[in-house]
Amino acid sequence: MPLVLGIETSCDETGVGIVRDRVLLADAVASSVDEHARFGGVVPEVASRAHLEAMIPTVQRALQTAGVTLNDLDAIAVTSGPGLAGALLVGVAAAKAYALALDLPLYGVNHLAAHVAVDVLEHGPLPEPAIAMLVSGGHSSLLLVEDVTKTLLPLGQTVDDAAGEAFDKVARLLGLGFPGGPVVDRRARDGDPRAIPFPRGMLTDPSYDVSFSGLKTAVARWVEKHAGPIPVADVCASFQEAVVDLLTAKAIRACRDQGVDHLLIGGGVAANSRLRALAEERCAKAGIVLRVPRPGLCTDNGAMVAALGDRLVDAGVAPSPLDLPADSAMPVELVVA
Amino acid sequence: MKLTTVEETKAFGRDLAGRLRAGDLVILSGPLGAGKTALTQGIGEGLGVAGRVTSPTFVIARVHRGPLPLVHVDAYRLRDSGRLDLDDLEIDEELDRAVVVVEWGEGVVEQLSDSHLEVRLERHDDDSRTATVIGVGPRWTS
Repeated sequence: MPLVLGIETSCDETGVGIVRDRVLLADAVASSVDEHARFGGVVPEVASRAHLEAMIPTVQRALQTAGVTLNDLDAIAVTSGPGLAGALLVGVAAAKAYALALDLPLYGVNHLAAHVAVDVLEHGPLPEPAIAMLVSGGHSSLLLVEDVTKTLLPLGQTVDDAAGEAFDKVARLLGLGFPGGPVVDRRARDGDPRAIPFPRGMLTDPSYDVSFSGLKTAVARWVEKHAGPIPVADVCASFQEAVVDLLTAKAIRACRDQGVDHLLIGGGVAANSRLRALAEERCAKAGIVLRVPRPGLCTDNGAMVAALGDRLVDAGVAPSPLDLPADSAMPVELVVA
Repeated sequence: MKLTTVEETKAFGRDLAGRLRAGDLVILSGPLGAGKTALTQGIGEGLGVAGRVTSPTFVIARVHRGPLPLVHVDAYRLRDSGRLDLDDLEIDEELDRAVVVVEWGEGVVEQLSDSHLEVRLERHDDDSRTATVIGVGPRWTS
């Protein structure tokens, strides 16, 4: 049974995971999010440097946790795109070095496909075809997953801001700091989601695309016009409700249209408690099986890359060449570079 | 110039695109939700570039290929980082062969070129926008 090491550096988390036959042995993450907080978002150069410093210690920590050595490994997988170019480069260079030094096959994998593949570690094999909704600071995609080792078919995406970006920008408007997702979720718990009727961009549009720019503007306008102290909890709850209403409506429609009865939600925004609750409720009503990995596996991590690597080895997919480039705009249709 | 709808903002972007040429730097200013990305979507349509123009916030800079390529930058996070060198953004395109549109770029990126076009977007209570265009440097004043 192959032992696969996965490396993830597409954004601000340096993640190293080790998986053997669908079993997670280690998931080490070093985050530079604190260093980015003062800029109100991830700064590519800061992220690249932080990856460089964290890379080898994080690999060592993962090996230690798994109780294995480098010589026990059978394959190396790494996120080769999409993501921040400089950040990706650090992970790809490290993966190449390990693959070359240890004479192991190297898999440069798609970040989004890895978000889909990670669920196998928690809930077992994902029945395919399935619909995957990946929502994070950089992505808002609806995908048809027929075989995660081959290709993902994009059904829809955001036409402007990503879902997580909308959380960050609304948090910025309300002076709640960065990252916006967790704090808005927390403040929303004390608020009324029906207090303010914020717009659901493209809800009635026949496509699977979503839009969050109009919502962000509506929140900005509401806050500017409001006399007296801002009811932060109500604004957070009403904004969050608009986001998750739109996302779940589109995801359920995609499942119905495609005749698919499994929905997977991944990416950092999948950690949002209201998104989980509403998706649960609507899926139950529609007879759809919902799968959401635990929050630690939804955000960026190395386990997901190792999980996909494990599937690829298992499926006998050919590895990537050693001159594998980091591809910041890697298309979602491409699972292995 | 008054822009009543998102469509009008995009149309204004398309018009603007017709006046742009390689090496031009366009700086978009205005608060969250003023229409900076919508205007850039119009510029992208006008230039006929490939790929959907969406918010560049997460990646900071995105390159759209085309007869006249578009480099779309969000400088918001670079404002406080002390300095800006577009080389650090690893933009895979020669800037003098493209139109460079920088959101939140005022006070940060002017030194990239001896000339730039600033478009100030303001959002009003009735949700309309006003765009003010200011040309700076020999490219726009001669």
